Amino acid sequence: MSTERELQVAPIVPESVMHNTKALSNIQSLTASIFGVAAGILGLESYSGFLFYLIFSILTTMLFYTVRVAPTSLKSGLGPFDTSRYFRTQYEFWTGGIFGGLAGYILTWTLFYGLVRA
Amino acid sequence: MTWISKATTTFGLLLLAHACYSAHEHSALQAHRAASLASLTASQAGVATSLPIDIAIETVVATFIVVLGLVLGTAQLRPIRWRVWAGQIEREGEEAFKDADGEIARDYIGNPFKLLESRPGFVDIRKQRQEFADWVKSQ
Repeated sequence: MSTERELQVAPIVPESVMHNTKALSNIQSLTASIFGVAAGILGLESYSGFLFYLIFSILTTMLFYTVRVAPTSLKSGLGPFDTSRYFRTQYEFWTGGIFGGLAGYILTWTLFYGLVRA
Repeated sequence: MTWISKATTTFGLLLLAHACYSAHEHSALQAHRAASLASLTASQAGVATSLPIDIAIETVVATFIVVLGLVLGTAQLRPIRWRVWAGQIEREGEEAFKDADGEIARDYIGNPFKLLESRPGFVDIRKQRQEFADWVKSQ
Protein backbone atom coordinates (compact mmCIF):
# COMPACT_ATOMS: atom_id res chain seq x y z
CA MET A 1 0.00 0.00 0.00
CA SER A 2 2.69 2.46 1.01
CA THR A 3 4.88 1.67 -2.00
CA GLU A 4 1.94 2.03 -4.38
CA ARG A 5 1.14 5.39 -2.87
CA GLU A 6 4.79 6.34 -3.12
CA LEU A 7 4.78 5.46 -6.81
CA GLN A 8 1.72 7.64 -7.31
CA VAL A 9 3.39 10.57 -5.58
CA ALA A 10 6.79 10.11 -7.21
CA PRO A 11 6.28 8.24 -10.50
CA ILE A 12 9.13 6.30 -12.10
CA VAL A 13 10.16 6.37 -15.76
CA PRO A 14 10.32 2.74 -16.95
CA GLU A 15 12.50 3.60 -19.98
CA SER A 16 15.15 5.11 -17.72
CA VAL A 17 15.09 2.08 -15.41
CA MET A 18 15.58 -0.23 -18.40
CA HIS A 19 18.35 1.95 -19.84
CA ASN A 20 20.28 2.04 -16.57
CA THR A 21 19.86 -1.67 -15.89
CA LYS A 22 21.03 -2.47 -19.41
CA ALA A 23 24.11 -0.27 -19.04
CA LEU A 24 25.02 -1.97 -15.76
CA SER A 25 24.43 -5.55 -16.94
CA ASN A 26 26.34 -4.90 -20.18
CA ILE A 27 29.43 -3.72 -18.36
CA GLN A 28 29.20 -6.58 -15.88
CA SER A 29 28.92 -9.36 -18.45
CA LEU A 30 31.72 -7.81 -20.55
CA THR A 31 34.11 -7.45 -17.63
CA ALA A 32 33.25 -10.93 -16.33
CA SER A 33 34.73 -12.43 -19.50
CA ILE A 34 37.87 -10.29 -19.07
CA PHE A 35 38.20 -11.51 -15.47
CA GLY A 36 37.95 -15.06 -16.76
CA VAL A 37 40.87 -14.43 -19.12
CA ALA A 38 42.93 -12.97 -16.26
CA ALA A 39 42.09 -15.83 -13.90
CA GLY A 40 43.02 -18.36 -16.60
CA ILE A 41 46.38 -16.64 -17.18
CA LEU A 42 47.07 -16.53 -13.44
CA GLY A 43 46.19 -20.21 -13.24
CA LEU A 44 43.78 -19.85 -10.35
CA GLU A 45 41.99 -22.93 -9.13
CA SER A 46 38.81 -23.58 -7.12
CA TYR A 47 38.03 -21.08 -4.35
CA SER A 48 40.75 -18.58 -5.22
CA GLY A 49 39.23 -18.20 -8.70
CA PHE A 50 35.79 -17.40 -7.31
CA LEU A 51 37.35 -15.04 -4.77
CA PHE A 52 39.18 -13.29 -7.63
CA TYR A 53 35.87 -12.89 -9.48
CA LEU A 54 34.09 -11.57 -6.41
CA ILE A 55 36.81 -9.02 -5.64
CA PHE A 56 37.06 -7.77 -9.19
CA SER A 57 33.32 -7.54 -9.79
CA ILE A 58 32.91 -5.50 -6.60
CA LEU A 59 35.79 -3.33 -7.82
CA THR A 60 34.01 -2.85 -11.16
CA THR A 61 30.79 -1.84 -9.46
CA MET A 62 32.69 0.61 -7.27
CA LEU A 63 34.36 2.07 -10.35
CA PHE A 64 31.01 2.33 -12.15
CA TYR A 65 29.60 4.08 -9.11
CA THR A 66 32.45 6.61 -8.97
CA VAL A 67 32.41 7.33 -12.70
CA ARG A 68 28.72 7.33 -13.58
CA VAL A 69 26.60 7.55 -10.44
CA ALA A 70 28.53 9.59 -7.88
CA PRO A 71 29.08 12.94 -9.67
CA THR A 72 25.40 13.74 -10.23
CA SER A 73 24.07 11.76 -7.28
CA LEU A 74 26.21 13.56 -4.73
CA LYS A 75 25.44 16.91 -6.33
CA SER A 76 21.72 16.29 -5.96
CA GLY A 77 22.13 15.87 -2.22
CA LEU A 78 22.10 12.08 -1.82
CA GLY A 79 24.56 10.43 0.54
CA PRO A 80 27.57 8.43 -0.60
CA PHE A 81 26.79 4.91 -1.88
CA ASP A 82 23.14 5.90 -2.37
CA THR A 83 22.10 4.88 -5.89
CA SER A 84 18.42 5.72 -5.61
CA ARG A 85 18.71 8.42 -8.29
CA TYR A 86 19.39 5.82 -11.00
CA PHE A 87 18.39 2.41 -9.62
CA ARG A 88 15.28 1.23 -7.84
CA THR A 89 16.99 -0.78 -5.14
CA GLN A 90 20.48 -0.76 -3.66
CA TYR A 91 20.57 -4.56 -3.85
CA GLU A 92 20.02 -4.50 -7.60
CA PHE A 93 23.00 -2.21 -8.10
CA TRP A 94 25.57 -3.72 -5.76
CA THR A 95 24.97 -7.45 -6.15
CA GLY A 96 22.73 -7.80 -9.19
CA GLY A 97 25.51 -8.36 -11.70
CA ILE A 98 27.58 -10.88 -9.75
CA PHE A 99 25.44 -13.86 -10.71
CA GLY A 100 24.72 -12.56 -14.20
CA GLY A 101 28.36 -12.64 -15.23
CA LEU A 102 29.36 -15.84 -13.45
CA ALA A 103 28.62 -18.14 -16.40
CA GLY A 104 30.72 -16.07 -18.82
CA TYR A 105 33.48 -15.89 -16.23
CA ILE A 106 33.70 -19.66 -15.80
CA LEU A 107 33.61 -20.14 -19.57
CA THR A 108 36.62 -17.94 -20.29
CA TRP A 109 38.38 -19.00 -17.09
CA THR A 110 38.41 -22.68 -18.10
CA LEU A 111 39.18 -21.82 -21.73
CA PHE A 112 42.25 -19.73 -20.94
CA TYR A 113 43.41 -22.07 -18.19
CA GLY A 114 43.51 -24.80 -20.79
CA LEU A 115 45.04 -22.57 -23.49
CA VAL A 116 47.91 -21.25 -21.38
CA ARG A 117 48.85 -24.60 -19.88
CA ALA A 118 48.97 -26.45 -23.16
CA MET B 1 35.54 10.98 -23.67
CA THR B 2 34.91 8.17 -26.07
CA TRP B 3 38.40 7.99 -27.60
CA ILE B 4 39.93 7.96 -24.11
CA SER B 5 37.81 4.94 -23.26
CA LYS B 6 38.67 3.17 -26.52
CA ALA B 7 42.40 3.88 -26.18
CA THR B 8 42.45 2.69 -22.56
CA THR B 9 40.57 -0.51 -23.40
CA THR B 10 42.84 -1.26 -26.37
CA PHE B 11 45.96 -0.66 -24.29
CA GLY B 12 44.65 -2.93 -21.55
CA LEU B 13 43.77 -5.68 -24.02
CA LEU B 14 47.27 -5.45 -25.53
CA LEU B 15 48.80 -5.82 -22.07
CA LEU B 16 46.50 -8.76 -21.37
CA ALA B 17 47.44 -10.45 -24.64
CA HIS B 18 51.12 -9.94 -23.82
CA ALA B 19 50.64 -11.42 -20.36
CA CYS B 20 48.77 -14.37 -21.87
CA TYR B 21 51.58 -14.99 -24.35
CA SER B 22 54.21 -14.71 -21.60
CA ALA B 23 52.35 -17.17 -19.39
CA HIS B 24 52.02 -19.58 -22.30
CA GLU B 25 55.75 -19.32 -23.09
CA HIS B 26 56.58 -19.79 -19.42
CA SER B 27 54.55 -22.98 -19.18
CA ALA B 28 55.98 -24.26 -22.48
CA LEU B 29 59.51 -23.59 -21.21
CA GLN B 30 58.72 -25.34 -17.95
CA ALA B 31 57.42 -28.39 -19.78
CA HIS B 32 60.45 -28.46 -22.06
CA ARG B 33 62.88 -28.10 -19.16
CA ALA B 34 61.12 -30.79 -17.18
CA ALA B 35 61.25 -33.14 -20.17
CA SER B 36 64.96 -32.50 -20.80
CA LEU B 37 65.80 -32.83 -17.13
CA ALA B 38 63.88 -36.04 -16.95
CA SER B 39 65.95 -37.43 -19.81
CA LEU B 40 69.19 -36.42 -18.03
CA THR B 41 68.41 -37.17 -14.42
CA ALA B 42 65.22 -38.67 -13.21
CA SER B 43 65.55 -36.92 -9.85
CA GLN B 44 64.15 -33.49 -10.76
CA ALA B 45 61.31 -34.58 -13.02
CA GLY B 46 57.94 -32.97 -12.45
CA VAL B 47 59.30 -29.72 -11.07
CA ALA B 48 56.64 -27.05 -11.51
CA THR B 49 57.20 -23.47 -10.51
CA SER B 50 54.38 -21.01 -10.20
CA LEU B 51 53.90 -18.06 -12.54
CA PRO B 52 56.60 -15.36 -12.30
CA ILE B 53 55.48 -12.39 -10.27
CA ASP B 54 55.90 -9.91 -13.14
CA ILE B 55 53.43 -11.78 -15.35
CA ALA B 56 50.94 -11.93 -12.48
CA ILE B 57 51.28 -8.19 -11.85
CA GLU B 58 50.94 -7.45 -15.57
CA THR B 59 47.75 -9.52 -15.74
CA VAL B 60 46.14 -7.78 -12.79
CA VAL B 61 47.13 -4.31 -14.01
CA ALA B 62 45.90 -5.10 -17.54
CA THR B 63 42.55 -6.30 -16.14
CA PHE B 64 42.19 -3.12 -14.15
CA ILE B 65 43.01 -0.95 -17.18
CA VAL B 66 40.48 -2.79 -19.37
CA VAL B 67 37.79 -2.41 -16.73
CA LEU B 68 38.60 1.29 -16.39
CA GLY B 69 38.30 1.77 -20.15
CA LEU B 70 35.01 -0.14 -20.35
CA VAL B 71 33.51 1.79 -17.44
CA LEU B 72 34.53 5.11 -18.99
CA GLY B 73 32.80 4.01 -22.21
CA THR B 74 29.40 3.27 -20.65
CA ALA B 75 26.38 5.38 -21.53
CA GLN B 76 25.22 8.20 -19.29
CA LEU B 77 22.60 7.04 -16.81
CA ARG B 78 19.16 8.61 -16.71
CA PRO B 79 17.29 9.56 -13.54
CA ILE B 80 14.42 7.18 -12.79
CA ARG B 81 12.23 9.59 -10.80
CA TRP B 82 9.84 11.26 -13.20
CA ARG B 83 10.28 14.75 -11.80
CA VAL B 84 14.08 14.54 -11.77
CA TRP B 85 14.08 13.13 -15.31
CA ALA B 86 11.69 15.75 -16.68
CA GLY B 87 13.55 18.53 -14.90
CA GLN B 88 16.84 17.41 -16.41
CA ILE B 89 15.33 17.36 -19.92
CA GLU B 90 13.84 20.80 -19.43
CA ARG B 91 17.13 22.23 -18.20
CA GLU B 92 19.55 20.48 -20.54
CA GLY B 93 17.41 19.50 -23.53
CA GLU B 94 18.94 16.93 -25.85
CA GLU B 95 22.40 17.11 -24.23
CA ALA B 96 21.51 14.58 -21.54
CA PHE B 97 20.37 12.05 -24.14
CA LYS B 98 23.40 12.08 -26.41
CA ASP B 99 25.50 8.95 -26.46
CA ALA B 100 29.28 8.76 -26.87
CA ASP B 101 29.14 9.48 -30.62
CA GLY B 102 27.09 12.64 -30.16
CA GLU B 103 23.90 11.08 -31.51
CA ILE B 104 20.61 11.50 -29.75
CA ALA B 105 19.12 8.31 -28.33
CA ARG B 106 16.24 6.81 -30.28
CA ASP B 107 13.86 6.80 -27.34
CA TYR B 108 14.26 10.51 -26.72
CA ILE B 109 10.74 11.89 -26.78
CA GLY B 110 11.50 15.55 -26.24
CA ASN B 111 10.26 17.79 -23.51
CA PRO B 112 7.55 16.01 -21.49
CA PHE B 113 5.97 19.38 -20.73
CA LYS B 114 5.45 20.07 -24.44
CA LEU B 115 1.69 19.62 -24.04
CA LEU B 116 1.59 22.38 -21.46
CA GLU B 117 3.72 24.69 -23.57
CA SER B 118 1.54 24.41 -26.67
CA ARG B 119 -1.95 24.32 -25.18
CA PRO B 120 -4.36 27.14 -26.18
CA GLY B 121 -4.74 30.08 -23.84
CA PHE B 122 -7.88 31.06 -21.99
CA VAL B 123 -10.92 31.95 -24.02
CA ASP B 124 -12.75 35.19 -23.17
CA ILE B 125 -16.27 33.77 -23.33
CA ARG B 126 -17.97 37.02 -22.30
CA LYS B 127 -16.34 38.91 -25.14
CA GLN B 128 -17.40 36.22 -27.63
CA ARG B 129 -20.95 36.36 -26.31
CA GLN B 130 -20.96 40.12 -26.69
CA GLU B 131 -19.73 39.79 -30.28
CA PHE B 132 -22.39 37.21 -31.00
CA ALA B 133 -25.08 39.43 -29.50
CA ASP B 134 -23.92 42.38 -31.60
CA TRP B 135 -23.97 40.21 -34.70
CA VAL B 136 -27.52 39.00 -33.93
CA LYS B 137 -28.70 42.59 -33.37
CA SER B 138 -27.16 43.73 -36.61
CA GLN B 139 -29.06 41.09 -38.58
